[in-house]
Amino acid sequence: MQQQEIHSFLTKYFQANECEIIENTDGYLTVQLTIELDKELMNRPFYWHYLEKTGGIPNPMQLTFITNKEKAPENMKGEIIHFGSPRLHQIFESAKSLASYIRLYENHRHQSSQTPLLPWLCMNVKISYQCDRKRDIFKSIGLQLINGQMVEDFHDRLLQIQLTPKIPDYSFTLSPLVRPKSGMSRIESYLKSVIEDDDHAWADDARQRWDQDLQLLNHFYEDIEEENESYETEKTALKEQYEPKINISFINGGLFYLTEKAI
Amino acid sequence: MSVEIEFDSSWQDDFLHRIENDGPWGNWELFKLAIGVEKHLVIPEFEGLLAPKHLPNLTPFPHQLETAKQVIENMNGKAILADEVGLGKTIEAGLILKEYMIRGLVKKVLILVPASLVTQWAIELNNKFFIPAITQRKSYVWDQYDVVVSSIDTAKRNPHREIIYQQDYDLIIIDEAHKLKNNKTKNYEFVQNLKKKFCLLLTATPIQNRVEEIFNLVSLLKPGHLGSETVFFEKYKRDSRSLNDDEHLKELVNKVMIRNRRADTGIEWTKRHVETIPIECTAPEKELYEAITTLKSDGDWVQRSAFSVMTLQREACSSREAVFYTLKNMLQRKENPTPAFEEQIQFLIKKVEAVQQNSKAEKALELIQKVNDKVIIFTEYRATQMYLQWFLKQHGISSVPFRGGFKRGKKDWMRELFQKHAQVLIATEAGGEGINLQFCNHIINFDLPWNPMRLEQRIGRIHRLGQEKDVMIYNFAIKNTVEEHILKLLYEKIELFERVIGDLDDILTKLEFGNIEDHLIDIFGQSCSEGEMRIKMENLSSMIEFAQTMKEGDSHAAAGNS
Repeated sequence: MQQQEIHSFLTKYFQANECEIIENTDGYLTVQLTIELDKELMNRPFYWHYLEKTGGIPNPMQLTFITNKEKAPENMKGEIIHFGSPRLHQIFESAKSLASYIRLYENHRHQSSQTPLLPWLCMNVKISYQCDRKRDIFKSIGLQLINGQMVEDFHDRLLQIQLTPKIPDYSFTLSPLVRPKSGMSRIESYLKSVIEDDDHAWADDARQRWDQDLQLLNHFYEDIEEENESYETEKTALKEQYEPKINISFINGGLFYLTEKAI
Repeated sequence: MSVEIEFDSSWQDDFLHRIENDGPWGNWELFKLAIGVEKHLVIPEFEGLLAPKHLPNLTPFPHQLETAKQVIENMNGKAILADEVGLGKTIEAGLILKEYMIRGLVKKVLILVPASLVTQWAIELNNKFFIPAITQRKSYVWDQYDVVVSSIDTAKRNPHREIIYQQDYDLIIIDEAHKLKNNKTKNYEFVQNLKKKFCLLLTATPIQNRVEEIFNLVSLLKPGHLGSETVFFEKYKRDSRSLNDDEHLKELVNKVMIRNRRADTGIEWTKRHVETIPIECTAPEKELYEAITTLKSDGDWVQRSAFSVMTLQREACSSREAVFYTLKNMLQRKENPTPAFEEQIQFLIKKVEAVQQNSKAEKALELIQKVNDKVIIFTEYRATQMYLQWFLKQHGISSVPFRGGFKRGKKDWMRELFQKHAQVLIATEAGGEGINLQFCNHIINFDLPWNPMRLEQRIGRIHRLGQEKDVMIYNFAIKNTVEEHILKLLYEKIELFERVIGDLDDILTKLEFGNIEDHLIDIFGQSCSEGEMRIKMENLSSMIEFAQTMKEGDSHAAAGNS
């Protein structure tokens, strides 16, 4: 993510959370937090607890984020935000947790007759292959809860559709035949089968590297008879470094009611 | 499929609960933002470097990118980075660290560097790499922050040591790692017991170490890579310097070490201009020098302290203050000095007192005024350093002192004072290492170090990446003294200043002559007389000449065959 993208991400994040944007220039961004967002980001529970007890006037903070030091005024007070900064990652996490689950309807224009909307379960996940190296795969899966149709890149398709949180006029939703819970396990087993079909030479290679280093380590300590603390430390470190793992982590998901021809 | 799949299902109940209760539901904009973020955080390939895309403030050189890639892809994140001085090892380490952080493989990092570099490292990581590195100030930083920069001397002491041992580090970076060559030291033991997944050792000089030192350094990085201690030393003699003779060992070491040389980088370096400035001294200075020289023929003095005589000679070439300081020490340290000894010293002190001016200092002043730009003066002696500071001040030239013994904050402060306010920095030898001064391009070698290798380090402080001007090196030598002779030998016989030491090493190792530093230390540190020094130097230079003709012969032969 480039600094400009970070800047635009921050702007959208605070707008979506209904914070007043006080200043928004090329190098920095000043926002007035709402009470909710102050609680979300500022980590000062005692202040809020005290305020609620005493019934004082809430005074949520103002924050300035500097996204480009060169362009921001000199001596400007604010947090310098970059891709690795803890604050940005806190906001990333917040964006994820504030909108982990969603339910939306297709905002169709069929005014004439009653339009049926079909239920879709959407799950966005990240699959990580990890050893001493790493790669991830982003997957967005949609499962139609009537006929069980499964669709990849579901999120990208959703971006093409007008969506609204309220059910549009002249619409009715069809009840799912597949229960959401079993829908989730269908998606889980689908993901696992996709992973199993993938090439896992990377894991074999990692184990081989691990084994090589372990042999060297054993050889290094073979003269030493008694239990050796550094040997154990090194051994654990090798496991942590090389052991291949696959993680499927949930990003977000939701229910989408879409017209028959939408997907 | 043999890898276990961990499926995170902690969210399922929460989701189902919301379906049942019809909400609360999230905001579509935030939902899309979260996906956008994830797509940015996804690592598309095991290979390749993502870091450069995240570093708008940095344009790494090709050799630096290549090194980072090598370390991650072929060395599994455990490497000795041994580039020649000034090629940007810090940048390489920063790239590797950044890459691992982006990939989520490294979070907890400990960076151990010389005290003088702590702040500089933290600043570079923050500014160039957007890595929130913290310098160690209070003990709680170790568990509170993910990336901490500290000096090893602080880290190894309690209470820090205990807290550090409780941390599981993903990556440890050690700068100037050649200081860990002895496995009996506290520092070595400390580093050996750290918990680490990945490890980078940075040094400019591992190749010159003895086989034993190489073994210790590699074993710290990757125990067993060179075998166990017993097996290793059965095969290679402990004191052996035969690293380069043994192809197998060399190959093994090269698997964990990267050494870029200036010549290989393809970067256009600014030039070095070396000028030897012979200095005519005043009559009293000459008398002092000669009085010391004649000591040599005086019976018992010679036997016990040939070394002191040469020390005094060289000090006499630097400043009367340096001589005086040593004489005073000699007198104080001697138990029950004989009257003859005391007399001798008093005689020399008289000679010292007779000296009224310092010809070199006058010359330095003249040069500084002519250059009219920032200048670094290197001297071996603290007494000279203090004198020079006083002397320059008398002539309205601002200067700052720099010594290895300064605390970290003071070093940073002095560097900054020099950069922003003072015209001259006067450094003693220990100040030569670990400080980057590429905003300056004039060096005066006021006197010569015992170990001529240090000259390269001195020059390396300014002749490095980032230096935009040609570098001017002025070597001061008082005429008809040991100093002038040394300089002539170094300069004329082996063209030390113009070459980079690595080149000379290459030439010598080809013929198994050992390395240049060993020869030079022997010649200048162990010789009892100038005569001996000259003969040894002649030997060395003919060796180099011979090696060079051999090398050229080689390449001719190769060309002829093709």
